Amino acid sequence: MTATSNTVPWILFGALRRHPRALLRLAAWSALEVLPLLLSGYGVARALDDGFLVGRPGTGLVWLSVLAVAVLAGALATRHIYRILAEIVEPFRDDLVDRVVGGALQRSTVLGGRPDSGAVARLTHQVEVVRDCFAGLLLLTRSFVVTAVAAVIGIAALTGVVGLLVLPPLLAGLAFFVASLRSMMARQRDHVLTDESVAESASTVVHSLRDVVACGAEDRACARVQREVDAHAAAERTLARMAAVRTLSVAVGAWLPTVGLLVAAPWLLATGATLGTIAGGLVYLTQGLLPALRALVDGVGIGALRLVVTLDRLVEAGEHPVPARAPLPQAPGGHDLVADGVTFSYGSHAEPVVDRLDQVIPEGQHLVIVGPSGAGKSTLAGLLAATHVPQCGEVRLGGLPVADLDPQTLARYRVLIPQEAYVFAGTVGENLRYLHPAATRTELDAAVDALGLRSVVTRLGGYDAAVDSGMLSAGERQLVALARAHLTPAPVLILDEATCHLDPVAEERVERVLAGRGGTLVVVAHRLSSALRAQRILLMDSAPGGVNTVVSGSHRELLRTAPMYRDLVGHWMG
Amino acid sequence: MNSHQAGRSRDPAWRKADRLLLSTGRRGGLWTWWLALATLVSAGAEILLPAALGRALDALPGGAHVTSALLVCAGLIALMVAGKVIGDIATGASNARSTGWLRMTLMRHLVAIGPAATRRFEPGDLVTRVTRNASEAGQVGVTAVMVGAGLIPPVGSIVALALIDPWVGLTALAGLVAMAGLLRVFVRDNSETIGHYLHSQGLIAARLLDALSGARTIAAAGSIEHERRRILQPMRGLREHGMRMWRNQVRVAGQAAVIGPLLQLFVVGVAGLGVVAGRLTVGELYAASRYAVLAAGIGSAVGFLNKLTRARAGGRRVAEVLTEPVTPYGVASLPASSDKGGWGGRLEFRGVRVSAAGEPVIDGLNLVVPAGATVAVVGRSGAGKSLLAALAGRLTDPEQGRVLLDGVALPDLSREQLRGAVGFAFERPALVGDTIEEVINFGSRSRTQEKVRGAAATARADTFVERLPQGYQTALAAAPLSGGEVQRLGLARAFAHPYRVLILDDATSSLDTVTERQVGAVLTARGVGQTRLIIAHRAATAARTDLVAWIDQGQVRSLRPHAELWRDPNYRALFGPEEGLAEPPTEWRRVPTELVAVST
Repeated sequence: MTATSNTVPWILFGALRRHPRALLRLAAWSALEVLPLLLSGYGVARALDDGFLVGRPGTGLVWLSVLAVAVLAGALATRHIYRILAEIVEPFRDDLVDRVVGGALQRSTVLGGRPDSGAVARLTHQVEVVRDCFAGLLLLTRSFVVTAVAAVIGIAALTGVVGLLVLPPLLAGLAFFVASLRSMMARQRDHVLTDESVAESASTVVHSLRDVVACGAEDRACARVQREVDAHAAAERTLARMAAVRTLSVAVGAWLPTVGLLVAAPWLLATGATLGTIAGGLVYLTQGLLPALRALVDGVGIGALRLVVTLDRLVEAGEHPVPARAPLPQAPGGHDLVADGVTFSYGSHAEPVVDRLDQVIPEGQHLVIVGPSGAGKSTLAGLLAATHVPQCGEVRLGGLPVADLDPQTLARYRVLIPQEAYVFAGTVGENLRYLHPAATRTELDAAVDALGLRSVVTRLGGYDAAVDSGMLSAGERQLVALARAHLTPAPVLILDEATCHLDPVAEERVERVLAGRGGTLVVVAHRLSSALRAQRILLMDSAPGGVNTVVSGSHRELLRTAPMYRDLVGHWMG
Repeated sequence: MNSHQAGRSRDPAWRKADRLLLSTGRRGGLWTWWLALATLVSAGAEILLPAALGRALDALPGGAHVTSALLVCAGLIALMVAGKVIGDIATGASNARSTGWLRMTLMRHLVAIGPAATRRFEPGDLVTRVTRNASEAGQVGVTAVMVGAGLIPPVGSIVALALIDPWVGLTALAGLVAMAGLLRVFVRDNSETIGHYLHSQGLIAARLLDALSGARTIAAAGSIEHERRRILQPMRGLREHGMRMWRNQVRVAGQAAVIGPLLQLFVVGVAGLGVVAGRLTVGELYAASRYAVLAAGIGSAVGFLNKLTRARAGGRRVAEVLTEPVTPYGVASLPASSDKGGWGGRLEFRGVRVSAAGEPVIDGLNLVVPAGATVAVVGRSGAGKSLLAALAGRLTDPEQGRVLLDGVALPDLSREQLRGAVGFAFERPALVGDTIEEVINFGSRSRTQEKVRGAAATARADTFVERLPQGYQTALAAAPLSGGEVQRLGLARAFAHPYRVLILDDATSSLDTVTERQVGAVLTARGVGQTRLIIAHRAATAARTDLVAWIDQGQVRSLRPHAELWRDPNYRALFGPEEGLAEPPTEWRRVPTELVAVST
């Protein structure tokens, strides 16, 4: 098990501890729920010995009626128990949903995070598994405890101290089961994981059928799946042996006492017990203890292990506490953006993507970053925007290290618009005001008109109309994101290929409008034409062999001094 | 229900499913027989046990035969437990074998059908068939046994009750009918509430997916908390419907807690009167009360019946795929490479026709790609360029006409010959392999590290691969790859094997202009001997090839060098604005005037 598994019992314990009064009521109603069982053996014994066996059917039926009343009282208790269970389990589910959502957001927003494709499955499937299993586990363990206690008390009441002889085999059966739990848990986890691997490998092959056939790699592809299918089959066989272990636990815990009672019966009868008491004892064992133990063992063996395994994975994928950053010591002095010896790589063995970069971007400058793909343009944009943290050096905004600023404060000073525009299901206005909730209607109008978004807003039905990403083309989504940027008062704007789905005319309009807005504008260019509009161009190049070069200058300077730039421009000319 | 069932078995799809299930069940082998035997023994012991216990109770007062009666009880218990233990183990083994066999049969069939499989079925749907449906169908053997054996205790109990005393039997039967009615009501009531609950859950999931797609925006805006509140807004509905589900549960649990035990008390009461009347013994009364409990177990036997229905439905979904025809391959080999150092690679299309959705896309197409030539395929979007690429490497077969490689019709070639001779690089390659190295090696038959590095370098993939945490050994799943990087790995994979014919289906579209130029230079280098068919959208790409095949209205409109075709305004229009506003060709035409002005 992983290190986080330690926290799983803690989470379950926490979910219970939050409702101390509900737990007390649960215990009280459970005591009432077990009443019919507690009376069952004794009542049957009395009905036989004082009633049916001695020719007094009336007395027998009266005893059975008493049992029937107990059954009704028990059913009332059952209803209450389910209600209390809901009070405990539902908030737990809410808590899990919150964790899953928080974790998915957290993981996909950290550096190098990727869209968390498993989040939806966790939300819709795994949370429900945990909810059902948790409720089931509470119900079963509680039921087993009260049933076992009632059965033992009942037998002892009927047969005296001899009845306590059922305890050793019962405890032995339980101990056998508990001892095998850890191994059962591991097998169950293997089973779940190998099943997921089968799905994953099958999915890879199915989604790559064209490529598999084109590469003539049918056998290799099948061998990959076969490997996982075999592993799953092995896990299934091992898991089946665990089912056998559970059956044996029940045999020892409940059937052995039954055999014991039968063997002791002649002796019990000789020492004054009646036929009714023996029959009553059998009722306690076969009707009370046996089903309760079987339910417990199967419930824990399957349900609780499922609970732990699934919850463990939810916790792994859940939110992890991040150290809070200290509040801003002072406001930045000016808005010059400075990279000072910044080095960044995507792994300890990896070559740096950005290597000891020194750059000053004065307030108000329009800078365009160009270079071949893989040169690290987006990485640099991330470093400047402080969504990437350099391994060496630092980025400063107005003299303050950006790494020291918390995300909300940072968002007031710089805006990063990435390539993939974010439009969420909400109103048009909510989407436009995303980065600046206080924007007025007039400001919205100005931004929409300036960026050429008016026809889209009109088509959607105005600012109060609902919109979701499916209603807009890729270019329109980018315009919405750019309008957001235009609305904010943030002094630094960074566009990371944020106009790649716009046509060149729209792109030019956007870049001129945003440059004319007053603050600093940093553009990672998708097309070279962006460079022609810049005050300064930063050319990044990654030569094979790992030497990264960064040169900057005006268009004319670079044409003169940088062969790489000439190559880029020349290529564009055809 | 009956007529429906009968209709089902006449349906050929169901017949195929049932035949498949029969083979699947057989794959469980001896284990399934062990299971059947063990389950029969344990069910038989279970049904005899109450009677034996009753006998023992009755024998107690006299003392005669007590020992043998007790031994019978202990023996039955032992048989029951042993049967269950063996049954547990056999269940796992039988399921594992059947499911594994079915899954691999399906997988092998899928790759034998080839890409056509995903044209007939959604990929996600196919994965479900391999995983869930195959696993449901794989349990058919075990489930069939359990349906049979599961019926023994409840049915046997009702018979036993009737044998003990007709009145007792009737009482139990009436109680069972009441129970069945209750379960039906619950299923109806609850399904609606569950529907509402799932809907609320779906709303939260949709909002979450939205937010995940905008992760970078959210990270930069520091708006995680704001997003969390937005996503969790439908939580109130979830709570409300969740509580309603519990209220349904409360009702059912309360009823179940009453009906079962009351039924048993009634049985004991009726049996008690029988004891008074001298018809029954104490032992029989005890046995009757046990049989009443066992009879109530009929619910779980019905559960196995449901499982059998699911296995059948799963079997049908697997059988549907298995009835799709596979791609047949021939046995022919290609003529040996020419002695002049060339690899051969003459590709010929003769009167080829292919339709999509009933309309011919390519119709009567003739084309000869000379051995060793680099030929660009151009045409407006929807002209069938990708289809032509697929035909050239037999990823699809024409309805009419033939495609020949070095004089041999493609369907005559053996799979090894064909796939060793024709390689592909795609616009969106699907990468398969645990590591980057395996990905590049996927189609190659030689597995030297130098070849992998060389192919990566040719595809300009070496720089970014070396920057990955473990370089070429980086796990594919752990490598954050952009579209351009995926494309370069796809190219490297195609370069890793010396194919006679290399087909590039828009395989450089996501590369930036410099990389595209570098890769393009490799592709169009002369004297390599490899035939190349390049589906191109950029004029610059077409300009570097020997010949351009211009596809129009399902045929080759012309096969000439780019420079000659460029004089035709219709040809130039192929790369014009209608290719898409954001496409580089627009740039290519627009920017130069400005640049020329700047540099002069």
